[in-house]
Amino acid sequence: MLISCNKLKTHIKNSDKIDWLHIWDTFTIRTAEVEETKEVGKSFDNVVIAEIKECIEHPDSDHMHILQVDCGEKDLVQVVCGAPNVRVGLKTALIKVGGHIDGMEITARPLRGVTSNGMCCSGKELSISDNHDGILELPTDAPVGMDIKKYLPIEDIIVEIDNKSLTNRPDLWGHYGIAREIAAITGNELLPLDVEEVKNDKKDLDITIKDPKVCYRYCGLKLENITNNKTPLDMQIFLYYVGMRSISLLVDLTNYLMLELGQPMHAFDARVVKSIEVGLAHDGDVYTTLDNVERKLTKDMLMIKNGDKYFGIAGVMGGLDSEILPDTTSVFLESATFNAGSIRKTAVALGLRTEASARYEKSLDPNMTDVALKRLLYLLRQENKDLVIASNLTDVYPTVTKEGHITLHKNILETYMGRVLPDEVVKNILESLDFKVEVKKDTYEVTVPTFRCTKDISIEQDLIEEIARMYGFENFEAKPLKLELSIKEHETVFTEEYKIKNLLATKFDMHEVNSYIWYDTALLKDLNLEVDGIKLMGKNENNILRQDLNLSLLNIVSRNLKNYNSFKIFEIGSIFEGNLTKKRLSIILTDDEKNLEATYNEAKQIAKYLFKVLKHVDVTLVNSKNVDALYDKNISKDILVNDSNYGKILVLNKKYASKIAKKKVIIAIEVDIDKYLELPKENIITKEVSKYPTVNLDYTIILNKDTKYIDLESILKEFKSNLILNYCLVGTYENKYTIRYTLGSQTKTLETKDLQTFKDRFIEHIKNNNLEIME
Amino acid sequence: MEKELNELLENLTKELKECSKEADVLNVKSKYVGKKSRIMEIMSGLKDMSVEDKRKYGSLINNTKKELENTINNYLEDLTNTLDIDFDDTLDYEVNTGSLHPVTIIAKEVTDALKKMGFTIVSGPEMDTEYYNFEALNIPKDHPARDMQDTYYLDNNMLLRTHTSGVQVRAMEKYGAPLRICVPGRVFRNEDLDASHENTFFQLEGMVIDKNISIENLIGVMQELLREVFHKDVKVRLRPGFFPFTEPSYELDCSCLICDGKGCPTCKNSGWIELIPGGMVHPEVLRAGGIDPEVYNGFAFGLGLTRLAMMKYKIKDIRVFNNGDIRYLENFKID
Repeated sequence: MLISCNKLKTHIKNSDKIDWLHIWDTFTIRTAEVEETKEVGKSFDNVVIAEIKECIEHPDSDHMHILQVDCGEKDLVQVVCGAPNVRVGLKTALIKVGGHIDGMEITARPLRGVTSNGMCCSGKELSISDNHDGILELPTDAPVGMDIKKYLPIEDIIVEIDNKSLTNRPDLWGHYGIAREIAAITGNELLPLDVEEVKNDKKDLDITIKDPKVCYRYCGLKLENITNNKTPLDMQIFLYYVGMRSISLLVDLTNYLMLELGQPMHAFDARVVKSIEVGLAHDGDVYTTLDNVERKLTKDMLMIKNGDKYFGIAGVMGGLDSEILPDTTSVFLESATFNAGSIRKTAVALGLRTEASARYEKSLDPNMTDVALKRLLYLLRQENKDLVIASNLTDVYPTVTKEGHITLHKNILETYMGRVLPDEVVKNILESLDFKVEVKKDTYEVTVPTFRCTKDISIEQDLIEEIARMYGFENFEAKPLKLELSIKEHETVFTEEYKIKNLLATKFDMHEVNSYIWYDTALLKDLNLEVDGIKLMGKNENNILRQDLNLSLLNIVSRNLKNYNSFKIFEIGSIFEGNLTKKRLSIILTDDEKNLEATYNEAKQIAKYLFKVLKHVDVTLVNSKNVDALYDKNISKDILVNDSNYGKILVLNKKYASKIAKKKVIIAIEVDIDKYLELPKENIITKEVSKYPTVNLDYTIILNKDTKYIDLESILKEFKSNLILNYCLVGTYENKYTIRYTLGSQTKTLETKDLQTFKDRFIEHIKNNNLEIME
Repeated sequence: MEKELNELLENLTKELKECSKEADVLNVKSKYVGKKSRIMEIMSGLKDMSVEDKRKYGSLINNTKKELENTINNYLEDLTNTLDIDFDDTLDYEVNTGSLHPVTIIAKEVTDALKKMGFTIVSGPEMDTEYYNFEALNIPKDHPARDMQDTYYLDNNMLLRTHTSGVQVRAMEKYGAPLRICVPGRVFRNEDLDASHENTFFQLEGMVIDKNISIENLIGVMQELLREVFHKDVKVRLRPGFFPFTEPSYELDCSCLICDGKGCPTCKNSGWIELIPGGMVHPEVLRAGGIDPEVYNGFAFGLGLTRLAMMKYKIKDIRVFNNGDIRYLENFKID
């Protein structure tokens, strides 16, 4: 929202004592965020009011004139001007020779052979309007020779306040509310608004509120004999500076009141108004708004009706036929309050957010409507001395909004503030913001003005905020929390996840990635995959929540294959099933197809390592039975701890892998993190080490065509001897597997005969199982 | 005489330098201290010297001989114990390591700092109910935040959480008061993607519930936290804010770290970056969490982890976070 400091000054007593350029830093930390302050009206100097005394056509031009103008000096000044509206008697703005505009100096110079000693300016050239149709037209009583900046409020400071930071402050959507804050911040007095009271000795207007739940108040006033519909220049400049176009006095005044008080208003042509009814629309009705767009209505939209026809969408925009015409001399003024939520929904549904709806959305004070009418009347009277009040100020106000009352306990204030504030300080702060305060022994009895209690002030904490912000956050001390020594950890999830991530990145050189939690529609299409899942509403693509984290990482895989031949990535992320968010770890290894074996073995190693290092348990890998079609069904493995499944090693099915990239192998390790977190870490218990030496014996066993290591392992498992401390596979060559046994005893050094017995028994065991052993 | 003895030592050192094999050293040894060496010659000439010369040179000659022997023996020992290098020991290798996601790194730093102040880390689901995400947080039915334009609603009557604040009430229900928690997590907003807008990003929620908590405690925690994360005093300012679930509410801005507060596109020329919104927990929210606001109060804050990472690592395009491009990610070495 744009704010004019000139306008604010008119509302504050002794406003010249305020540093208007710098007060906004304080305003930001006391009230709302200021995005920008801009000094305007500095783009020119030496511009005076001049009257055209003579005007002749330029002999060498079809549109220029040679003017003799009076600019308050002894002699008339000759100026050449190309504007169409030059005429004798016109008072306008003239930059004198030696003056500047937009960094350029004005010199006496010939224009097609005739010397011009200055330049007449348009409103646009002076940056006070966007009118460039002709030179500025000043009123006939403008004093010739006066500096234009003294005559018109051209020099101003325009402040942009972040709308977002005003969402909770309906009272700040007009200059008067901002002025109240500035007055409170600087300790100055806010001046009352000049209004004209209405006697109410005429007839009431015909106004009905059909749905008082969504229309809180509707005030109407009929005025006649409005003959001057020209907006004074100073008001035009103000409107222009704060981003509005000047149209006509009546329209401008409704906008002016909205910018001043925050109260949106409407001026209807009184000739067409029969009776006003405020009520909800019917589903499917259509209505053409002021901007000439046909709108589809629903039963939730509040409408203003004139007679039995729609006249405007309440709080959003008027209709095409409600507009004021150039010959309008009598108006029906509307000033109303609607339900904030209703207006917001209507505006959103129609995609029509207007200045009015933006304000109504904030929950405006219903007690402002009649003030706005009286204020508009006062301002209109300044330009139309003979206007006639043709009706009562008709006020339909089913439920009157009253001031709020809150008891603020001193002990709670003290707790929140971390300090005791003197009663005087509390009272002064609240009163400066127009609250009323009665100081009691343990409490403050606070009366909340209606412009603050429609939305943001309802409990004592709201008052504490008022006191804290005005007291100034910068005046608080930083106090550390007291640390209790009995703090226990509620959850280990973050720490454990970090350990996994750290291990994968450091030990296995992996890169952690983040992917989106919904499947990429384009990827599914590429893979020709149909998937189920929870859907995002109102979206046609990327709208299915993932149930397989691996699948949502495939995009990242194909992206990186453009730059890397092989890599390892991982993510700990969510998958979604039913009502539950579940956590999974997904590791993806990718390499050339020819490196399948090495990559696959690395995957197994990673899976085992993860559990061994972080949980101190050994996992077993067994062939997976229920494998999704996305993966190869022969080679996939379940990761088991004590026969319970904690995850899988999966190889992407060739059909799909080839769509990601040619001749690549893509292997995924997935771990159920929820379950992993539940798995207790095995305690470390020291094993006794024998004081007698151990002996290593290596045996190379030749496997048959159809046997694998897993078969050999079960054969080895069956072979028992109390000398065996440990055995493991130390190498393979083709179908020859070398097993190393470590033998030892707690009671003696093993002798040759012990070893020979072991050896004989072992060889026999292997042979009994129909395998060959190399002796 | 003195000169000659000195020259003997100097020459020996020179000749030893040329020796790289044991045999060479032994040759030098016999030349300098062997039977036919010059020093032996000088020593045998000692007996023919005058008493005066004997006194003058005797010990010098003896010492020189010892020094010659020592020098040779030391060199020999050195030579036999030094590795024989037959490879290029100047070869250089690039260190390739994995990487952690920038958000993981920043979340670790922030949570480490908070842990020192007694916070514990808790978590909550990314798919949540309207109740926890809005209602319990005192966000009314017709609040703009609940619009479809901002929130991803799901066809199972749930939604993707729009903030980590939903964990406030969950944690109060689960752990009760007093409570000191932080919640790093992924959140979702229905936004179109560009260099500074993402629909998926990370926040960290913080909340303290205890007896007699003041605004000053909140400021204290914020300052400590920022000092820990940025390793220096960061200029901050508080200004009023508005959130339905805190009252009073505030916005904490910190001096823009990209331009040092001078004004740049990142801070929209204001010199300030909006970093940590927060405030005193609203009594309604405490009630929703089953905590009596007459007994306990507290504060809560939300920190944009993604934004913090962008500032700290000077990441210009927010899309880097979710596109998984290793070329960017490999910069983020493990701390």
